[in-house]
Amino acid sequence: MAETVRVAVLYGFGINCDHETKAVFEMAGAEADRIHVNELVNGDKTLADYHIMAVPGGFSFGDHLGSGRLLGNRLRFGIRDMVQDFVKAGKLVIGICNGFQVLVKMGLLPGDEDVSLTQTASLTLNNTGHYEDRWVHLEFDPNSPCVWTKGLERIRVPVRHGEGKFVTSIEANLDEWAENGQLVVRYIDPSDTYPSASDDLLPFPICPNASMRNIAGVCDPTGRVFGLMPHPEANHSTWLGATWTREMPEHGEGEGMQIFHNAVKFAKEHL
Amino acid sequence: MDTTPVHLIEVTPRELPGLQDTRGESIRSMLLADHNLTIGTVRSITGYQVKARLSGEQLLQSLQDLFTDPIIEQGTVNNSLLDVPEIFPNPPDLAIMIGFKPGVTDNAAQAALDGLLTLFPEQEEALISTTMTYLFWDLPDDLDLHWLANTLHNPMIERAAMAKPEQCADSIWPQLPFPERPPAAFTTPATIDLEVDDETLIQISEEGLLALNLEEMQAVQGHYRKPDIQIQREQLGLPPRAPTDVELECLAQTWSEHCSHKIFAAKIHHIDTVTGEDTEINSLFKTHIMQPTLDMQQQVDWLLSIFHDNSGVIEWTKDWSLCIKAETHNSPSALDPFGGAMTGIVGVNRDILGTGLGARPIANMDVFCFGPPDFSGHLPGGLFHPSRVLRGVHAGIRAGGNESGIPTVNGAIVFDDRFIGKPLVYAGTVGIMPRHLPDGRESHDKTPEPGDIVYMLGGRVGSDGIHGATFSSLELTEESPSSAVQIGDPITQKKMLDMVLEARDAGLIQVITDNGAGGLSSSVGEMAELTGGAELDLAVVPLKQPGLSPWEILVSESQERMTVGVRQNDVEAFEALAKLHEVEATAVGTFTNSGAFIVKHGESTVAHLPMDFMHDGCPQLKLESEWTPPVHENPIYPNVDAEGMGSILERIMARPNIASKEWWVRQYDHEVIAQSVIKPFCGVNHDAPGDAAVIAPLHGETRGAVVSCGIVPRYSDIDAYAMTAASIDEAVRNAVCVGVDLDKIAGLDNFCWPDPIESEKTPDGRYKLAQLVRSNRALDDVCRAYNLPCISGKDSMKNDAKLDGQKISIPPTLLYTVLGDHQDVRKAVSSDFKDCGDTIFLLGETHQELGASELSYMLAEETGGGIGNDVPQIDTTRNLALYRALTSAMDEGLVRSAHDCSDGGLAVAIAECCFGCDGGTTITLDGLEDVDNWAALFGETLGRIVVTVTPENVQRFGNIMGNHSVTKLGQVGDKETLEFTRDGETVLSANLTTLLASWKGTLHMGGDV
Repeated sequence: MAETVRVAVLYGFGINCDHETKAVFEMAGAEADRIHVNELVNGDKTLADYHIMAVPGGFSFGDHLGSGRLLGNRLRFGIRDMVQDFVKAGKLVIGICNGFQVLVKMGLLPGDEDVSLTQTASLTLNNTGHYEDRWVHLEFDPNSPCVWTKGLERIRVPVRHGEGKFVTSIEANLDEWAENGQLVVRYIDPSDTYPSASDDLLPFPICPNASMRNIAGVCDPTGRVFGLMPHPEANHSTWLGATWTREMPEHGEGEGMQIFHNAVKFAKEHL
Repeated sequence: MDTTPVHLIEVTPRELPGLQDTRGESIRSMLLADHNLTIGTVRSITGYQVKARLSGEQLLQSLQDLFTDPIIEQGTVNNSLLDVPEIFPNPPDLAIMIGFKPGVTDNAAQAALDGLLTLFPEQEEALISTTMTYLFWDLPDDLDLHWLANTLHNPMIERAAMAKPEQCADSIWPQLPFPERPPAAFTTPATIDLEVDDETLIQISEEGLLALNLEEMQAVQGHYRKPDIQIQREQLGLPPRAPTDVELECLAQTWSEHCSHKIFAAKIHHIDTVTGEDTEINSLFKTHIMQPTLDMQQQVDWLLSIFHDNSGVIEWTKDWSLCIKAETHNSPSALDPFGGAMTGIVGVNRDILGTGLGARPIANMDVFCFGPPDFSGHLPGGLFHPSRVLRGVHAGIRAGGNESGIPTVNGAIVFDDRFIGKPLVYAGTVGIMPRHLPDGRESHDKTPEPGDIVYMLGGRVGSDGIHGATFSSLELTEESPSSAVQIGDPITQKKMLDMVLEARDAGLIQVITDNGAGGLSSSVGEMAELTGGAELDLAVVPLKQPGLSPWEILVSESQERMTVGVRQNDVEAFEALAKLHEVEATAVGTFTNSGAFIVKHGESTVAHLPMDFMHDGCPQLKLESEWTPPVHENPIYPNVDAEGMGSILERIMARPNIASKEWWVRQYDHEVIAQSVIKPFCGVNHDAPGDAAVIAPLHGETRGAVVSCGIVPRYSDIDAYAMTAASIDEAVRNAVCVGVDLDKIAGLDNFCWPDPIESEKTPDGRYKLAQLVRSNRALDDVCRAYNLPCISGKDSMKNDAKLDGQKISIPPTLLYTVLGDHQDVRKAVSSDFKDCGDTIFLLGETHQELGASELSYMLAEETGGGIGNDVPQIDTTRNLALYRALTSAMDEGLVRSAHDCSDGGLAVAIAECCFGCDGGTTITLDGLEDVDNWAALFGETLGRIVVTVTPENVQRFGNIMGNHSVTKLGQVGDKETLEFTRDGETVLSANLTTLLASWKGTLHMGGDV
């Protein structure tokens, strides 16, 4: 039982969303520190002091050689043991957008029981060939073991990426991940009745990047490591929604916040 | 001799179900969209030339762990992918390989090198360069292959190699050598003899790209004739009677139009042939920009830092300040649209980082002026087609902004034939800084002291970017130097930004500025004014290649560099922070109070310039201005029925100036930092245009800031006074539409002008200068009336191109940007119509003002006739009172939507609002009594806003609006058509879906580069 949930929000080398990611964890009641990747590599700080690691969005190393590849390598080769120990200890990890790309490229997602850090999926260029910022509708798998997404049905958040197409080279992998509830969040058409998540590719821009099976995010087999391309932290308050001026909402927390509340609550109760 | 081998690594996407070669596919669709060229298949190969001593095992590991993605890519080492039949069973019909020229920034290679060092830390000497190879199948028979190669690369910065069909058939593939950077030829400082006749003085200036005129050269000459200077120089071991090349270059940078704004500082003799006015204006800047702001500073307490720093700073809340700056990067963007625009945006980001003791950039604004993307006229040699400029500039701004994590929140794209010679690329940034640092200092004030150490931070100095400042002070010609072009490196800059802001908060920074135009000569030279001197050692400056000569090191504008002053006691902490962030920090000198800027190279002194001569020695220009208004023919209005009028609206919606920019704007990240309240797009389908950006930069808090802009170069064809007034009014009006607090608005003026100095090559200089005078007077009048202080600005005064002997001058253009306060973002208003039944009003009077309107230009192009003369006139008193009433109504929560009525007039504004709710309606023009249907529908009278109000609030709204002009137009509907009626008759009828398609179609330019 953690009295204070501590979150390590990584930054450096072109991670851009570190401030807002720190902010949403604080709004959710945690204590969050921005930690430069090199502070972990050179041993000044350790993940062991934290309950949650967040790899925020951004453009680490300019997305050159494939988004997330170079930062993923810095973690995979620089602090391999520290990351494996952290995950094996049952602690929580989230990667958002570029952070998700990092976790996939370093093999932490969709991942395996042994935390072997073997890459089994990838995120590649959107079919449009370019970066886009647009709002999407997401739907969550109610049967997923993911601790981050408990109780969530649908939310609206922006995607902001050029390489968000989730792919794998082995079809059977997708079936296995689906079976395990690891395909935790997908793009959906809001005019379809809940639940509507489907394996059939939805047209652009409903599925903004032509991801296989409309996948927006996945978790590891334990449900404690989670990553997604869209930005839940960008909808932390109602006044940040895409169409809030049409809806005249009761102002307060935005639709993205539940994800961070879930994690902090879980950490408080279990870590 | 260098015997290090170069290993070739090639990578291409794997062919798997559901996967495509997106890079190749993008090229295919770009060629189709821009050139109507149909090609069967395009594939891509990314190449890495790795110059390093790596074992076979290491090469294989780097291929697996670094260069290829094991799931989606495949690659080879030292063996062409094209020779692997499993991957490419059929040889392509054509292969074009593109790589960078030596010395050009290659960001992917830099990243690859970093990745290689992660795997093999001992490989510090390794060098990497990247290439991209495009493979084509099924090309049209008559295709000019060299044209294709030139369309895919920019010879100014890139090289291309091609394997033609016959070579492809023989499996001979294109190759490029490793781009070895040629060793620079070090030259010891030369002495420039200025004891020559005037003609030779001018020759020295022209041949050296110094951009100094005769009077200025004579001023330099005069300095070295002073006996006391000569005695002093003798003692210092410097040539006593002549400058060194280092000194002359340094003066040319400091005195360049780009850095010292000589035209705005000039003494102008102005004549108005209509009124008979004959006056002298001593500095347009001091008279019409600075003085109004200084007068306003007496009235308010929130103007913290104006004019003297890298950006203007206002107090926003009691704990936070905001700052803002916009720059232009026109000349570099003409030569290399991608690199020029990218260095533009990351450069202005550094202006924010270099404000006070350092501010965090939180929002970008990007405004472009281009030739029409479908331009089909004669294109002079040496110019890129406008569609290519648009793509390149857009990609540069996109990469620079997105990779830096700074949202692009606002902007505009304007089209006119005259921008084919020089595109205008305005890049602006808003920054935020704490009012006070933890150590108590106000963060907008620089606090250097003599003895502080001068650090150069970030990138290294190379031969790239030499003469950018002086070059931009010249017109563009075929001989324009490629060294003036650079490519930005957002990641190096981002690391530096993270580091600088931490150093600021730790109290380690005494003074900071960016290295932009003029390089170290400007950054250190300017900051040295604060302490009264500086001493610099060029020999310790880290270089991209050895052998640079002292003057080159001093003036090189190599990117991603800041200059920082640090107390001697803080040096260790500062360097430790730099190391953590992997930022190169080098102590290159010391601030002093010696009264001179002293530059050394090792032991020898290479420049010694008294501070007062450097900064005040440039003689004032004396210029002639004469205003005679032009007279245009009136437009020819066709005789059409309601459907015909609908068709005119449809064509206006499709004009590039009016058309939706969504396809381009979506490619900018406008929401990073999680602060975006009013976004570039709104409405039920997220495709209706927003008027201004509202951001709430403090997470969880509801205090906001508004950013908006106005730009209407068309009106300069009639009167630059009207152009300026309209631009400022539009910027303010846009801000009003989202609910800005009119008690705290600040402005930025960015002038782009053709050369306004009368000369042989500019015979109409007096007229162009008179346009500038009138523009400045409008700025003065309108800003004072709106209580809108200009807190920063910039001018770019040589926007002419001479190519093929043909001179092309841009229309005089002012971009006006407004930064305002927003008390509660939960009360912000968007432009989209909301609910059926809401009442639609037009606020503001409509006059018979169609001169230089979008309609007039369209009719002139379609059927001849002129653009008319009745350009919209401003009534600041009437407008401001109306704006204040409207923002009060918004504060009361009475306004459901508000949209600026400007380009294209009321019909366009209403159509855009209808797009927002996906429903057409019927609008009555009965209330617009004093104007004809053309002016009612398409006139662009200033000060007008379309608003909607829910039925239950109409009366309260009316009470607040009082006597202001409020015209009821109709109700929000859900019809398939948009109709306008007058006296019961339909005067315009159009299908909303058709309008939407016209509006969206023009600038949707599929594909990408």
